[in-house]
Amino acid sequence: MGLFDRVFRGSAEMYAKAEAELTAAISELGESAPMKMPDTAYFLSCIYAFLGKKVTTLGELRDALAEIQSKMTTNQRLKDVFTSGIGTAMAAEVIEATKYARTPTPYDGTDYHGHFSDAEVRELGVPLVTRDIPGFVVIIDPAPTDEEAVALIKGYQARGIFVFLIGGVIDQALRGGISMGFPVRVVPVGPDIWAVGHIISLVERAAMIFGAVTPGDWEAFTEYSFHRIFAFVNAFSPVSDITVACGGGAIAMGFPVITNDKDDMWAVPKSLIIQPDTTDFIETSLEARDIKIKVTNIDIPVAFSTAFEGEIIRKKDMRVDINGARQDCFELVRSRATQDVEDHKIILDGPDIDKFPEGGAMNLAVIVDVYGKNMQSDFEPVFERKFHSFLNCVEGIMHTGQRDIIRIRVSNAAFEAGFRAKHFGEVLYSKIKSEYEAVVDKCQVTIVTDAAKLKELRAEANIAYDKRDMRLQSMTDETVEVFYNCILCQSFSPSHVCIVTPERLGLCGAVSWLDAKATNELDPNGPCQVVTKKRPIDERTGAFEDVNEAVQKYSHGALEQVTLYSILEDPMTSCGCFECICGIEPASNGVSIVNREHTGITPLGMTFSEMASMTGGGVQTPGFMGHGKHFIASKKFLKAEGGIARIVWMPKALKDTVRDRLNKTAKELYGIDDFVDMIADEEVAEDAEALLEFLAEKGHPVLAMEPLF
Amino acid sequence: MALKGLDIFKLTPKTNCKDCGNPTCMAFAMKVAQGAVELDKCPHLSDDVKAQLGDATAPPMKKIEVGSGDDKFTLGGETVLFRHDKTFVSKNFFATWVCEGCFDGKLPLIEKVDYDRLGERMYVEFLNVVFTGDVEKYKELVAKAAKTGRGIILDVGDLDAAKAVIDAAGSRVILNGANASNYEAFSALATEKNAVLGVSGASLDELYDTVAALEKLGNKNLVLDVTGDTVKATFANAVQLRRAALKDNDRTFGYPSIVNLHKIAQGDANMQTALASLFVLKYGSIIIMDEMEYSQALPLYGLRQNIYTDPQKPMKVEPGIYPLGGADENSVCVTTVDFALTYFVVSGELERSGVPLNLLISDAGGYSVLTAWAAGKLSAGSIAKFFAEFEIESKIKSRTLVIPGKVAVLKGEIEEKLAGWKVVVAPNEAVELVKFFREFKA
Amino acid sequence: MPFKQVPQKFNAKINALTIGVGEKEITLGGENVFPFYTFDAPIENSPKIGVEISDLGAYTDVPGIAAYYAGSDTLPEIAKRASEMPGADFLAISLDGAHPDNGNRSVEDTAALVKSISDAVDIPLVIEGSRNIEKDAKLFEKIAEALQGKNVLFLSAREENYKSVSAAAAMAYGQKIGAESAVDINLAKQLNVLISQMGVKTESVAMNLGSAAAGYGFEYVATTFDRVKSAALAQNDNMLQMPIITPVSSEVWTVKESIVSEEDFPDWGPAEARGVSMEISTAAACLAAGSNAVILRHPESVATVSKLIADLM
Repeated sequence: MGLFDRVFRGSAEMYAKAEAELTAAISELGESAPMKMPDTAYFLSCIYAFLGKKVTTLGELRDALAEIQSKMTTNQRLKDVFTSGIGTAMAAEVIEATKYARTPTPYDGTDYHGHFSDAEVRELGVPLVTRDIPGFVVIIDPAPTDEEAVALIKGYQARGIFVFLIGGVIDQALRGGISMGFPVRVVPVGPDIWAVGHIISLVERAAMIFGAVTPGDWEAFTEYSFHRIFAFVNAFSPVSDITVACGGGAIAMGFPVITNDKDDMWAVPKSLIIQPDTTDFIETSLEARDIKIKVTNIDIPVAFSTAFEGEIIRKKDMRVDINGARQDCFELVRSRATQDVEDHKIILDGPDIDKFPEGGAMNLAVIVDVYGKNMQSDFEPVFERKFHSFLNCVEGIMHTGQRDIIRIRVSNAAFEAGFRAKHFGEVLYSKIKSEYEAVVDKCQVTIVTDAAKLKELRAEANIAYDKRDMRLQSMTDETVEVFYNCILCQSFSPSHVCIVTPERLGLCGAVSWLDAKATNELDPNGPCQVVTKKRPIDERTGAFEDVNEAVQKYSHGALEQVTLYSILEDPMTSCGCFECICGIEPASNGVSIVNREHTGITPLGMTFSEMASMTGGGVQTPGFMGHGKHFIASKKFLKAEGGIARIVWMPKALKDTVRDRLNKTAKELYGIDDFVDMIADEEVAEDAEALLEFLAEKGHPVLAMEPLF
Repeated sequence: MALKGLDIFKLTPKTNCKDCGNPTCMAFAMKVAQGAVELDKCPHLSDDVKAQLGDATAPPMKKIEVGSGDDKFTLGGETVLFRHDKTFVSKNFFATWVCEGCFDGKLPLIEKVDYDRLGERMYVEFLNVVFTGDVEKYKELVAKAAKTGRGIILDVGDLDAAKAVIDAAGSRVILNGANASNYEAFSALATEKNAVLGVSGASLDELYDTVAALEKLGNKNLVLDVTGDTVKATFANAVQLRRAALKDNDRTFGYPSIVNLHKIAQGDANMQTALASLFVLKYGSIIIMDEMEYSQALPLYGLRQNIYTDPQKPMKVEPGIYPLGGADENSVCVTTVDFALTYFVVSGELERSGVPLNLLISDAGGYSVLTAWAAGKLSAGSIAKFFAEFEIESKIKSRTLVIPGKVAVLKGEIEEKLAGWKVVVAPNEAVELVKFFREFKA
Repeated sequence: MPFKQVPQKFNAKINALTIGVGEKEITLGGENVFPFYTFDAPIENSPKIGVEISDLGAYTDVPGIAAYYAGSDTLPEIAKRASEMPGADFLAISLDGAHPDNGNRSVEDTAALVKSISDAVDIPLVIEGSRNIEKDAKLFEKIAEALQGKNVLFLSAREENYKSVSAAAAMAYGQKIGAESAVDINLAKQLNVLISQMGVKTESVAMNLGSAAAGYGFEYVATTFDRVKSAALAQNDNMLQMPIITPVSSEVWTVKESIVSEEDFPDWGPAEARGVSMEISTAAACLAAGSNAVILRHPESVATVSKLIADLM
């Protein structure tokens, strides 16, 4: 028999039970007997929610039950499974309600909680909405052993998951000495499967209270629970038909069911999961419902605070010195498949700090493996760069550098306090999980101190670094799907918007396309948003309709349009934190670039600060443009005006900074060798006359170019 | 739409002759575009070009100068309605309303409220001297008022009286008396005496026509008195004038404004404080009040200084040692940046803590802590340099220095550079400082 | 040729947010023009004034305030007196005594105290927090429960606690909340987006964009308000169309100008006059820049600002 038929059979069973109980109650109390659940303004809330009916008497309840039956259709379609499943939940509510028709306190004197008051719904609802309680589990029927039951409940408790128990598992919890009740977040709801009616009632009331969902709007309720209520079910073998039917309802509401029952069971991806090993229930369940557990504390024997960021550990205070320049040391983040990462596992491979000579050298590598559904390998370097500030915040640890040129010192005091190699793992685990919650589901740290292994691993790490660098270099504006904007500077330059592309980094020099991308994924409402590039207007100047729309939106209307590659036609604006300003030098038809550090005059007759005053503030000034140093050697720099061949003047120091890359670009674009030597600087020219003379002498390519205007 | 610098450059001789005082034609053109230099400074522009550029480069709101030379007052010249669109350029001025009978009583306060705030002199810049009927007495009063060294607004609708006193008013004078019926004669007088002419009208339409007529006479040296019968009308006038000029490009209303609170809130000092604040934000160029008490000056001048700060150039405080809460050479040192807002907030919290502390302000380019740090303006090196320049170690005996929590990262480096100093990291937020210092053990 | 007036009436408008119930309920916002630009289009709801008291009593360190509350001893009496201050549209209660460093009154006791205040007054209530983010989340939940049906506004939900405040105050008990950010349009917008993503209706949200006393970086306040109003009206940005409520008093009564004594600064004259003047000036500037409600303490300030609003409407 198929899964569908088991659901239909179970739902018929639940209905029969409900009808019997209701008939008995009516014959005992009469049709007009009041039907009211205690301390709620939402009637029988499953029925109220799904059918929009306000039941106040047993007679009305009988009418409602008839309508419930009409929803329990049995066509071999998924839709029927869902409506029958929810019908089962409503029938369960009817069964429980008949108890309350007789007395408002049917569970007094038992271990069971029964109905939840509106106050309890709100009390649980608030932390569920805020995700302070990351979700709740409904555990049905006894686990294979008492120990497994206790371990499972405690495991959920440790992760802050609210636990509802139904049936035999309650007795196991009692025998295991687990303290239960609403305040400790473990609630024994009732002895029979129809106790689920109380839990679904709670869910639907949450939807009405917190989601303002309209009673009777069936789809809105399932929609709400799917998106907003992070619940799931653990059902132990053997699972009865009636439980399977309840499971159908759970799945219809978006709650996955995890079971260890393999007989007569059919796995449905993301919804019905067969996990034979009950010790893996928690991890399987959390992953199925996409629940991430927040990590807040860092388990280390010394303090962790930004106040220690600037600590310097002197040689005499140092227990060990970890120095990538002398030993094989490195740091590496790898994104891995889910089965290769065990959350919060910290492995030490090799001797610990105490085995190394006092005040001497130590070799050490930190490999952080992360898995996440939204993790991308592009985030690896973003995380890695943060190691520096994470580890520096540890009292008694000094950290500099990255990749395989790291240098870490552990102070004697930290060592005395008990700081050991695994604590590097604890710090990185906690920080990566908490700061990158949006993309990291699991994180595992391996600390290697075994010299022999390190040599090999370092070589592997270098391959990974090279691969990343290659990717960065090969990335062009054409090869990516989207750009990003950045409005980090708007607090002091209200109308400025940066458009960040692979070949044009932010003008402050600090935000690359990858940084912007990571910022966006990690903080989806933050300062960097996706800017599509689907509707190009002019490839030459780098104009896009999508980019213009983004600029209008994020400048709050102050800017209409920008181009990415032109200095004359709608050039990109600047906030004021540009590393460099580039301005047209009319005598030569070229441009002059001056960096912030250069205080002298340029051949334009203006200094950096004079140019800054007219270029900054989000104002478009054709002929002038702020940009990052890195952009100078880009093939997109002034592309619309002919590219880097327009550069006629730069301060000497800036020339030296960009020399190699600029020469390379010039060679590739124009086949010119040593292009930088053709560019004048403050030593040869500070006015237009001297500049022209110099350019003529060097045969600068700009002299053969079209006039700029 | 204002012309871009590049468009102007195209029409210059491109000879870099430097006759305009700028090293290149490009620099000149860019400054013209910014409104920082007049087109006329270039002697080589043809009349055609001048005519072509003149209209486009003329600011939508005229810059009016009261007086000349170093002590002139500059009004108007605004290009935007909101400071975030660029910046406001000419701060508003305050005036005290004086009359024959009340001048002597008001004089001591006029002289008393005269102080410095962040390098700016705060005082009543103008006296509005009202004519009450007796020309001789008026002349005496104007002479007395002029002796205070303030700019003079002659609040007079009588041409003969105006003629009689204008010479006594000194060189910085606004003749505020022109209206639809007398503008020709007043304009002639103002022009003759090189005075700015104040114009008013019974309605915006009348004012508009009068200004247009004055412009036709060639007088564009005007300020417009927008004071109406009520608070509401006055506010509406002030906004509409400025908006017409800057947003709707109607240059007829492109002049600075006078708002006379004596007329709409006479005798109610609190209401005048409220209204003056309103008009500092919304388009009053000269705000006339009955008096300027110290209690009014403190918020109003502070507000004005804030609103007229260029968003690109934050206010700075002078580097130095600021002893707070009765601090002496043994008191602990606290350091932060010279960004005025940071200084005010931090010094306020430190004073509230009641703990004697030496606040050390070093030159950090006028940036906030994190911005200064990111820009390299606040570093262990910059602090060490400040310590050397200001000879801190010889002036202060304490060897404890508290640094901002946001630059905790500098602690080690500062300790390296300042031998013998104990560097302590403060909390991240200023609001936590009071608690921090009350519990602080040096 | 007459002056050609070009009214600036926008298609978008500021959300109208009602707080309180019954006859004395008030509505903030609803306009489609810049602040006080009644010459462009009528403004239906004038800006409102709140009178602030502390849960520890009135702010009696200022003589004029002390005199006003003389004879009112219990908190409900003080609240009632505050609610009767000429010009008061709503009552703002600052929960100073619940701050962990300032008595740390329990959540339950504070909720009971606020309930006693609520029972004593008939004007709308604004509940300001204790200035401790964690405590506020708990306080607001309990108070929201205790004041069910009173339609009160909670100040504030911040980036750190907006989830709890939204869930507890706005969602569980249907009250109104203010989203507080630090004088920055993008932070303000981000917080509004986050709150609406929680499922809180934008019509239930006001904004506290932060403030500063006149002279203390007020340019940031003015510019942020200007930009928010422009974005809301000209750009129809519905994540910035919430009305602005600005606690002025807590900013102005702590600055040097308001607190140093006349003995220390004889030129400056009495401290109280300075404080009142700071409060009036800052409030007027906030209103001119776009506040739909300001919170004040001194009876003189309330009277003056109330007259200012009336004169401009």
